Amino acid sequence: MTDGYQPTFDAGTPLPPLSAVHIPEGSPFSPGQRPRPTIMLDGQTKQAIETGRNRLMIVGAVFCFCFLALALRLFDLGVFSRPDEPRGAAVVEPVVERAPIVDRNGNILATNLTTASLYADASKVIDVDEAVTKLMRVLPDLSRGELDAKLRSGKSFVWVKRNLTPRQEYEVNSLGLPGLAFQREERRVYPYGRLAAHVVGFVDIDSKGISGIESRFDDLLRDPSRHGMPLKLSIDIRVQHAVTDELSRAVKTFSAIGGSAIVQDVRTGEIVAMVSLPDFDPNNPREATPENRFNRSTLGTYEMGSTFKTFNTAMALDSGTAKLTSGFDATHPIRYGRFTINDDHAKARWLTVPEIFVYSSNIGSVKMALAAGTERQREFMTRIGMTRRLPIELPEAGAPQVPNPWREINTMTVAFGHGISVTPLHLSTGVAALINGGIYFPPTLLRAETDRPPTGERVITSKTSSAMRRLMRLNSVMGTGKNADVPGYWVGGKTGTAEKVGAHGGYARKSLLSSFVAGFPMTEPRYVVLVMIDEPKGTKETHGYATGGWTAAPAVANIVERIAPMLGVLPTQGPDPATAEGILIAASAGKD
Amino acid sequence: MRLLSINWGLVLLVIAIAAIGVAMLYSSAGGSWDPWAGRQLARFIIGLCVMVVVAVIDISLYARYAYLLYGVTLVGLVGVEVMGSIGMGAQRWIDLGFFQIQPSEIMKLALVLALARYFHGVMPEHIGRPTVLIVPLIMVLLPIALVLKQPNLGTATLLLLGSGAIFFLAGVRLWKFAIVIGAGLAALPIAWEFLHDYQKRRVLTFLDPEADPLGAGYNILQSMIALGSGGVFGKGYLLGTQSQLRFVPEVHTDFIFPQLAEEFGMIGGLLLILLYVCVFGYALAIGLGCRHQFGRLVALGIGTQLFLYVFINLSMVMGLIPVVGIPLPLVSYGGSATMTLMIGVGLILSVSVHRERRLPRRLDHG
Repeated sequence: MTDGYQPTFDAGTPLPPLSAVHIPEGSPFSPGQRPRPTIMLDGQTKQAIETGRNRLMIVGAVFCFCFLALALRLFDLGVFSRPDEPRGAAVVEPVVERAPIVDRNGNILATNLTTASLYADASKVIDVDEAVTKLMRVLPDLSRGELDAKLRSGKSFVWVKRNLTPRQEYEVNSLGLPGLAFQREERRVYPYGRLAAHVVGFVDIDSKGISGIESRFDDLLRDPSRHGMPLKLSIDIRVQHAVTDELSRAVKTFSAIGGSAIVQDVRTGEIVAMVSLPDFDPNNPREATPENRFNRSTLGTYEMGSTFKTFNTAMALDSGTAKLTSGFDATHPIRYGRFTINDDHAKARWLTVPEIFVYSSNIGSVKMALAAGTERQREFMTRIGMTRRLPIELPEAGAPQVPNPWREINTMTVAFGHGISVTPLHLSTGVAALINGGIYFPPTLLRAETDRPPTGERVITSKTSSAMRRLMRLNSVMGTGKNADVPGYWVGGKTGTAEKVGAHGGYARKSLLSSFVAGFPMTEPRYVVLVMIDEPKGTKETHGYATGGWTAAPAVANIVERIAPMLGVLPTQGPDPATAEGILIAASAGKD
Repeated sequence: MRLLSINWGLVLLVIAIAAIGVAMLYSSAGGSWDPWAGRQLARFIIGLCVMVVVAVIDISLYARYAYLLYGVTLVGLVGVEVMGSIGMGAQRWIDLGFFQIQPSEIMKLALVLALARYFHGVMPEHIGRPTVLIVPLIMVLLPIALVLKQPNLGTATLLLLGSGAIFFLAGVRLWKFAIVIGAGLAALPIAWEFLHDYQKRRVLTFLDPEADPLGAGYNILQSMIALGSGGVFGKGYLLGTQSQLRFVPEVHTDFIFPQLAEEFGMIGGLLLILLYVCVFGYALAIGLGCRHQFGRLVALGIGTQLFLYVFINLSMVMGLIPVVGIPLPLVSYGGSATMTLMIGVGLILSVSVHRERRLPRRLDHG
């Protein structure tokens, strides 16, 4: 009807509407009736129109079919789907269920937090630049170069970042980047942070224990047959806190490089508190230096100095080679080859055994040891656990360095705690046996599951033990341990101030290892408290002294005062064990 | 007088759908006009005015300037491509300072107008000639190639299927469709070789939704849970926890339907679908009642696009097809798409107003 075959028309005659009826507005569904076109048309055009109309119907039918399908699908979802379907996507179940670690009162020392870790299938990351840019925006602490390399690696599994916060997880999800997915993981958390970090230890990124209890009991903590039952330690976190607090203060006050402190139950060998400074946060173990992770209490071995005189005295008394009233000549320094053994506060006279103890006489101690003999000393030191690695439940257990061969000169130095290196835990465990009546209990970090008393090994007679209690108490009344006394708790202990072996061998007079080992109450000992301060410097208040009596003893006093109420030890009145018959008399015997 | 001849039934339908959209946006912001509902309402009111203006403009003007609009938009797409390659990343916008234009959006309308204009000029008996199809095929493939390069798979899909519908309605022989589809499939392996590695991976990811467990997988799963949790009658307005608590990502844009279904249940979802069906009914009827090929193809072409929007979006949120970024027309939040859709409806209305208009086969090129 246009120029094609009706040349008389220049511009088009309009086509008839396909339906050839006027469709009233508002009633769109009327194409069902299709009256024949009224205009006479050429066959071809007519056919074209017919085709158009048919195709319109087809399109309409397709539309209707599609929407019918959608409606059915909606019906299916609305009526048949369960609303409690899991809502996490691409999430795998937690890999490990690691048992928690608790203290003796059930306080949680280590537990798990379920977190999400982000990994990438690098082969499915489409635009690395885009992915890196977007991820850096959400996780700004990632290294751009590393991330870029990881995503370009083409590997089907690379970790992007472990243990994201819920917020970070949400933000990464919102980026909608392909090739990224989350793995549900358990993150080990230590609610008390640095407290007891050396004891509890920490785990690596795969929740595998790599130090402390976490490492020693790794298999047990993962054991599914335990059903996640907590591992109970002997530690009391309240005591741990008080001890950490006091030790930190002492380390700070005396500008020391570190310290160690232990509180141990003398009746069971249970460690109630064990601190090593400097410490670290087990929640971020990678930020800790090896120095901070080093456990001075159980791994570090030190020449303990005069605190060893407790062992020397007990050995002499127990072997019968000395009595409390025995006297030893401390008039002159002892020369042995090129060595000279001196007393710091030389009395230059004969001293009784209690005097040797409270004046911490090196000369008198050596004389006592020589009277007993090398073999007795070595046998005794072995009996009291000083020559072997301790069976403590930590991988960080140091082996003592003992004289080999054990000659007379070694007998002399061991008498005052030199020439033998042990860990602080060796010392506290040994002292516990000396004052508890003479039974050696191996140290333990685990809370006994029953109240049955553990079986120990008798190392000295109860009589010797009684004498040791009184001697140690005496030292706190009139000797170097005065600063450790706490009224009502009958603290008794022994100081030690050892000169550390310098870098070039030989002893450095300025580098001290000052310690105090005490028991309380000496009327009926319950706990051993050991404080050791590494390289303390004297202050004005201590008149420049950095000895055990000036630095560690006050810390012990503060600790006892704070922890005794927690541990149910009540202050008592009564006769001071130090005034018991024999001791004071013997101690005063030589007095002018 | 033309205002009176506007098909107000269709306008009312559009208002009803948009009202549902604003209400859902109000809900997805946790019962607040901010940040989406208020702005969407403002846009819609402006869009409504534009729609009415578009409806009363003489349809011959659209026919006359169809090629020009197509050409300018194509240049715009190229411009975006150039700017995109100069600037950073994928750029889809041209910034005119006061207004941002997305050429790919305009192309959806421009392509329909240009194709309608072309087939309007083809005599019915010539439609069978293969040579007739060369020009419109190029007209379709050029913008699709440019849009794909952006990359904007959703728009490319819309352009391709919408154009296919126009070809079909214009009377192109069915066996020619078969040839084009067959040739396209045959060319795929060759084209595949020309793709960069990252482009190949993008296609593979699209074909394999499991490859994207975080993006698509996550959205889809959350979306289907939201759809299911509404049950038959829904949890009630403003009470959809899945959507309100942001378990469904992008809820205000592409994934708004799950929220509707959660709050108003299956019934609410079916009602919205019914409203859309009515819109298409109008578009079909208007096309059917139009006396000129141009108007007929415009109404049906835009109607088909609308249908594709709805169908693709709903299929996507119901987990029937992979995720492609296509909004739910007039309900999803978004300025550019809403404006394009309103203009599109305006064009359909214009066809209705000018259905009796005599349109010469040969038109001046505007």
